Amino acid sequence: MTNTSTPQANNGRAWLALLLAGAFEIVYALSVAGSEAFTVLSWSISAIVFFLLTLYALSVALKTIDVGIGYAVWAGIGAVGSAIFGSVLFEQPLTLTQAFWLAVIIAGVIWLKLASSAKLQADESGLVAS
Amino acid sequence: MISWLYLGVAVLFEISVAFSAGNAQGFTRLWWTVATLVSGAIATFFLSLALLEFDVGVGYSIWTSVAGVGIVILGAIFFQERLNLRKLSGIAMVIGGVIGLRLSGAA
Repeated sequence: MTNTSTPQANNGRAWLALLLAGAFEIVYALSVAGSEAFTVLSWSISAIVFFLLTLYALSVALKTIDVGIGYAVWAGIGAVGSAIFGSVLFEQPLTLTQAFWLAVIIAGVIWLKLASSAKLQADESGLVAS
Repeated sequence: MISWLYLGVAVLFEISVAFSAGNAQGFTRLWWTVATLVSGAIATFFLSLALLEFDVGVGYSIWTSVAGVGIVILGAIFFQERLNLRKLSGIAMVIGGVIGLRLSGAA
């Protein structure tokens, strides 16, 4: 909003922060699961640390990315990652149906990345004063 | 029935998390940062109460999808975030995918 450096560079950094936030969200979700309602100390500490990290990185990303897009991507990465790593940790192989939905989420995230870049280019050229 | 109320409260605070995190500007604004963390803790707490009753797959997908839709609508109304078919279709794909994944039994 008040950024003065180039929108493209900001956009790249913001998406990097969003991917990082998604990665932290995965660790947070797995830690919450492992903490068994916060009765296991090590996993509980990990959950709290990654709760702070994921929200910090999300906040950095949302400086540039629309909150509707940012939230959907963040939650999507969290869902994909916790499904994949959860299935590995708990030794439950993913079914074909689950793999299909993972692919839908990943395609949606890529689609949003493309839509977000197009928006910034339009803003840059048009310098909309709204 | 009370678990639907818990879930509704968890959704409201999740929406608050998203907007507070956006306004916290990378945790450089103190009160928005406090709002982000407090909302996140309250949302997590009420979600955990709701999940005592709901299956985690169903509860989590309702939580994420209602919050995601609410954020898009409120963002358009209060923050003039322009919506177009590309953005809406992308958000629908991700939210739909999360619902499908959760209902198919993963995580």
